[in-house]
Amino acid sequence: MTEAYPQIDPTTFDLIIVGTGLPESLIAAAASAAGKSVLHLDPNPFYGSHFASLGPDELSAFLSSSSFPPSSSSGEDPATVSLTTRPLYSNVEISSLAPETLEEHARKFNLDVAGPRVLFCADRAIDAILKWSTNHYLEFKAIDANFICVENGKLMRVPDSRSAIFKDKNLSLIEKNQLMKFLKIVQRHLDPDEDASSKVSQEDLESPFAEFLAKIKLPPKIKSIIMYSIAMADHDQDVEACKNILKTKDGIDRLALFQSSVGRFPNSPGALIYPSYGQGELPQAFCRRAAVKRCLYVLRMPVVALLIDEENGQYRGIRLASGQDLFSPKLILDPSFVFPSQAGSSPEEPVHVFSEKAVEAKVARGICITRSSLKPDISNLLVVYPPRSLYPEQDITVRVLQLGSTSAICPPGMFVLYLSALCNDATQGKKLLNTAISAIEVSQISERNAGVKNEDAEVEPPFIIWKAIFIQELSAGKYGSICSTPSPDGNLNYHDLVDAAEKLFHATYPDEAFFPETASPENADEDNCPEDDGPLEEA
Amino acid sequence: MASRRRMLLKVIILGDSGVGKTSLMNQYVNKKFSNQYKATIGADFLTKEVQFEDRLFTLQIWDTAGQERFQSLGVAFYRGADCCVLVYDVNVMKSFENLNHWREEFLIQASPSDPENFPFVVLGNKVDIDGGNSRVVSEKKAKAWCASKGNIPYFETSAKEGFNVEAAFQCIAKNALKNEPEEEIYLPDTIDVAGGQQQRSSGCEC
Repeated sequence: MTEAYPQIDPTTFDLIIVGTGLPESLIAAAASAAGKSVLHLDPNPFYGSHFASLGPDELSAFLSSSSFPPSSSSGEDPATVSLTTRPLYSNVEISSLAPETLEEHARKFNLDVAGPRVLFCADRAIDAILKWSTNHYLEFKAIDANFICVENGKLMRVPDSRSAIFKDKNLSLIEKNQLMKFLKIVQRHLDPDEDASSKVSQEDLESPFAEFLAKIKLPPKIKSIIMYSIAMADHDQDVEACKNILKTKDGIDRLALFQSSVGRFPNSPGALIYPSYGQGELPQAFCRRAAVKRCLYVLRMPVVALLIDEENGQYRGIRLASGQDLFSPKLILDPSFVFPSQAGSSPEEPVHVFSEKAVEAKVARGICITRSSLKPDISNLLVVYPPRSLYPEQDITVRVLQLGSTSAICPPGMFVLYLSALCNDATQGKKLLNTAISAIEVSQISERNAGVKNEDAEVEPPFIIWKAIFIQELSAGKYGSICSTPSPDGNLNYHDLVDAAEKLFHATYPDEAFFPETASPENADEDNCPEDDGPLEEA
Repeated sequence: MASRRRMLLKVIILGDSGVGKTSLMNQYVNKKFSNQYKATIGADFLTKEVQFEDRLFTLQIWDTAGQERFQSLGVAFYRGADCCVLVYDVNVMKSFENLNHWREEFLIQASPSDPENFPFVVLGNKVDIDGGNSRVVSEKKAKAWCASKGNIPYFETSAKEGFNVEAAFQCIAKNALKNEPEEEIYLPDTIDVAGGQQQRSSGCEC
């Protein structure tokens, strides 16, 4: 049990998957459910790869280990191609201001590598969770409030339902009416029973969403709320040169997703929920579902080379760090692997099956452990800093997600802030995040001073006690003789990632269903699978 | 919600591949035994209602789903366990020697708030084989190990013949129940995604 690398048996599989991130785990679950023999490997001692939740030290080690390609000894064997990794993370800056405190609670932290990320209650990730019954393995917490930064750094709560609009104190009566009127237009458009005349015109649907909102005369504040806090646009939609214009039809779709998410689950007042113990729970849930369907799991197992047919250069199998060779007609790799050019010289060149939505090639991410909440009475919240809210040239939205100990991701009395912003380079990305962090610190100081009258009060401990900022490369999935899964994207949810996993699965197995046919996939067809399915989801 | 949570007890079964973890669960819950060994497939968890001092509890017994074969169980599996059952095969010395590894792995991964007093139960399985002539781990040796780890309750079982399985699980249930709940971090407002869907399909939308 202590030997470095165990021998794996059998040695031939239908599919080998390397990396246990969310897209890989979804594909493992789908392929196993379709009866394929699947081997799922991960070089790390934990599940989740780029979607893992880790302690501060593990996270630091993961970010830096993934930043350097390992030295690849070029094999003499013409039938192998050594497999190298590329740095997915760069410009990693980590600072710890209270190492003892962190050390004491190290096991209590579950920090997301790919934060901030949440689920919309009505999104495709929830569908996937329910269709595979992985809800037995997961618990969720509500994101209690959604804020947007309006003029002069002030945070305004986003009214996310009709009653919230009605009760809102930041909007004037006229603004409320305008917002309600707009929501009615959207509702009529989406209602299948309404006739064509009450729908938004085709021309409008293809036009920029910003123009559509201006056309129906929504004031800037309302426009900003809809655009950046509900439709979650990343780019400044009010400049001519915007590289990524949100079309009205996409804007309406995002609005519809948000609206159908609000109130979908009894305990979740808002649209967003988050998995207890961190987002790393999601891939683990799908891996367990795959394991139940016979997928074989081996952690701590690096892959060092690809086995290539000398005749035609086609992929045949993999060589493990143990030296063992394993074979499969299909291989799926996580995005940190470099696509070997030799293996790609096969007749079928790798094809991009995904449209790259973001123009940017990178996303800047930040994680801060803090000693107090941004809002005294709310622990789980989202803050959106839309373009131009932090500084005049800010052309990209910065999103900040705060989670507290009720989500089981940090010890009581502490909070974790996740920040992200798309960027073209590290300078731009770090400026975006650092300005947002400064704005947050300033607001904390003013909040404290407002409460404390005693001028010579003792020096407060720092608000942020641990901070990590880094730049992550963005890559879409690739399909070919060897497939590559997408990296975590710059979005707030898993929508596009679930989509990409489904496309990759269909490209690999065109005749198989991605989701199991029945609502309850538990098959009681075998003696040792007698699932007594009680009402466990209520746990 | 809090009281409902206490009604559900999570039990996880650990031990080397082939010691009979799935068979023990199946014998206890379904009174079934299959002689044909299949490395665990298709087993997720089994549930059984148990009565204790006039109260009904649901015992949720989690199988390793085969992920123990290459020590790839992942932290999520261990979370929130109320009792951990360690199983070995009395005919295989290695499986007994590995109990220490499984116990330590559990304490690291689950990180219970009071590791000294966390309830474990040890089962020495397959005592029926060859009338006991092929056993290599004596009851005395097993009991000595259990005593050295804080007096872990020990049972010798045969999943095949159903020997001592009921008694062992009675003890497991009792100990799971005694386990003090962790700090109630996840209790009051956990979202029930499956329940929400039912509500939605019944057309209750505002």
